[in-house]
Amino acid sequence: MHIDSQRAEAGVTPASASWSIRLDNVSVTYPNGTTALSGVSLDIAAGEMVSIVGLSGSGKSTLIRTINGLVPATSGTVTVGPYTVTGLRGRQLRQLRGHIGMIFQGFNLADRVNVYHNVLVGRFAHTSTLRTLLGLSTAHDRELALRALDSVGMLEKVWARAGQLSGGQKQRVAIARALTQEPSVMLADEPVASLDPPTAHTVMDDLRRINTNEGLTVLVNIHLMDLARQYTTRMIGLRGGEIVYDGSAADATERDFEQIYGRPIQPGDRLD
Amino acid sequence: MSRLVLPPKPTTRLRTALIIAAFTAFTVVTCIPAIGGIELDLGALVRNWDNGAGLLTQLLQPDFSFFPRTVGPMLETLQMALVGAFAAAVVSLPLTLWAASPTNPNAPSRQLLRTIVNVIRSIPDLVYATILVAMAGVGVLPGIMTLFLFDIGIIIKLVSEAIDSADHGYMEGGRAAGGTQAQINRRTALPQSWPLFANQWLYTLELNVRISAILGIVGAGGIGRLIDERRAFYAYDDVSLVVLEILLVVVLIELASNILRKRLV
Repeated sequence: MHIDSQRAEAGVTPASASWSIRLDNVSVTYPNGTTALSGVSLDIAAGEMVSIVGLSGSGKSTLIRTINGLVPATSGTVTVGPYTVTGLRGRQLRQLRGHIGMIFQGFNLADRVNVYHNVLVGRFAHTSTLRTLLGLSTAHDRELALRALDSVGMLEKVWARAGQLSGGQKQRVAIARALTQEPSVMLADEPVASLDPPTAHTVMDDLRRINTNEGLTVLVNIHLMDLARQYTTRMIGLRGGEIVYDGSAADATERDFEQIYGRPIQPGDRLD
Repeated sequence: MSRLVLPPKPTTRLRTALIIAAFTAFTVVTCIPAIGGIELDLGALVRNWDNGAGLLTQLLQPDFSFFPRTVGPMLETLQMALVGAFAAAVVSLPLTLWAASPTNPNAPSRQLLRTIVNVIRSIPDLVYATILVAMAGVGVLPGIMTLFLFDIGIIIKLVSEAIDSADHGYMEGGRAAGGTQAQINRRTALPQSWPLFANQWLYTLELNVRISAILGIVGAGGIGRLIDERRAFYAYDDVSLVVLEILLVVVLIELASNILRKRLV
C-alpha cells in the first residue's frame, strides 16, 4: 500500500468549512453476530474526494454509517471534524449529523411528500422540534432549500411529489436535501446503483462539483471500478471488513481491483 | 430436442390432506355434547317453524307509514357515528404513531400502549355501552363514548401494523439529517401514512352506523332505541322498516367512502 505519498500527490486543498475524518481501529459487530468491519484505520483530510470500493457485503455501507453514527462502532474511535462520534448520543449526535450530508442508494425520500418539504428535512438539525411540529420554517431555511434545489437543476419540480420523479431526479432531490444542511462532509452510499448509466454520470458529476466548488470532503461508496477511477482522487478498497487498498484511484490497476473484489474482473464491474 | 431434466417436484398433497382431515375432525368433535361439545339441535328449527314463519312474513312487510317516526332517531344515529368517528380519528393520530415501531423506537412505551389498546379492543361494545349508560345515564353520550373506544382500538391496531410493514427508507434519510423522531414523524411518517389512516377512519364511520343501531337496545341512544321499543310491542313490520333503513344508510356510506378512498390514495 502507498498511502501518504498518493494523498499528497492528489493536491487537495481543504476548505475552511470542510472537515477531516479519522477512523482509529474501528470494528463493528452487529447484534446478530456478523462482523462487518474489523480494525479499520483511516485518515481522510478535509476536502478529499474518496471512493470506497468493494463488493456487497464488504462492509462499505457499515463503514460510511459509522461516520454519522447511523451504525455505532463496536470498538475503536471515529472522529469527524471537532466531534468524536463514538459514544455521542441524543442532541449532540443529531448536531453532528446536521453537519454531515448523506445520500443513499434508495434515495430515502418520503414519496407522498412534495420535493420542497423533502428538501426541508435537511434543516431538521437546525430547527427546534416544536417549530417542526407546528409546521414552521424560517425564511433562511426556505432560501437554503430553494437554492439547493436550484443548484441541482430541480427547482421547477419543487411542488411535485417525490414519488412522481424519476430515479435520477429523486437522487438530485436527495442531494439538494443534503446540501440544505450546509454540511461539512458529504457521504454517499451507492448513490448510482439504482440509476441508468447517463443518470449515474450526472449524479457523480454533481458530487464532484460539490467537492471542487465547495471544497467539501466527499466519501462515495461504489462498486463500479470505472466510476471510482473517473470521479474520485483517492480510493479505499474493502474486502471482508478490512482495508485491502488505499491509494490513488486513477492509478489503481486491474490487479488492484481483482485484489479488492477477491475474484477476476467481470463485465458488470464497469458501468460503460 | 433433448428432454429437460427437472429437479423432483416437492409434493405437499399428503400434508394438505392431513391438515384438512384434522380440522374436519376437530369441528365434528366440537359438536358432540357427550364429550363437552355444543348441542346442535337442528330439529328445533323444524318444530318452531310456525313461529318463525309468522315473524318472517311480518318482517317482509315493512310498514312505510312508520317512516316519519324513524327520521329523528336515524339522524341521531348518524350524528353519533360521525362524532364518535371524528373524535377517534383525532385521538388516533398521535397514539398510532406511538404504537408503531418505525415511528416509536422505544420498545417499552410502545408495548405499554399496545397492551392498553388490546385490552380496550377485547371488551365487547355492548359491555361498554351497558357500563357507560349506568355511569352517564340513558342518551347519546354513552353511545358516542362506546363508539369512540371501539374505534380507537381498531384504528390504532390496524394502522400501526400497516405502518410497521410499510417501506420506510425516508426514516433513515431524516435520521441522517439529524432529525428528532418527532420531527421525522411530523414531516415524513405522517404524510406517508395518510392513506392508511383515511382508510380506517372511513371504515370506522361505516362500522359506527351499524353498531349504533344496536347500542340503543341498552339505552345508548340512536335508532336502536326504536328497534327495542317496536320489538317489545311485537310490531315487526315497524322493525322491518328500521332494518331496511339501516341497510340503505350503510350501503350509501360505503359507496361514499369508496369514492373518497379512491381520491385519497
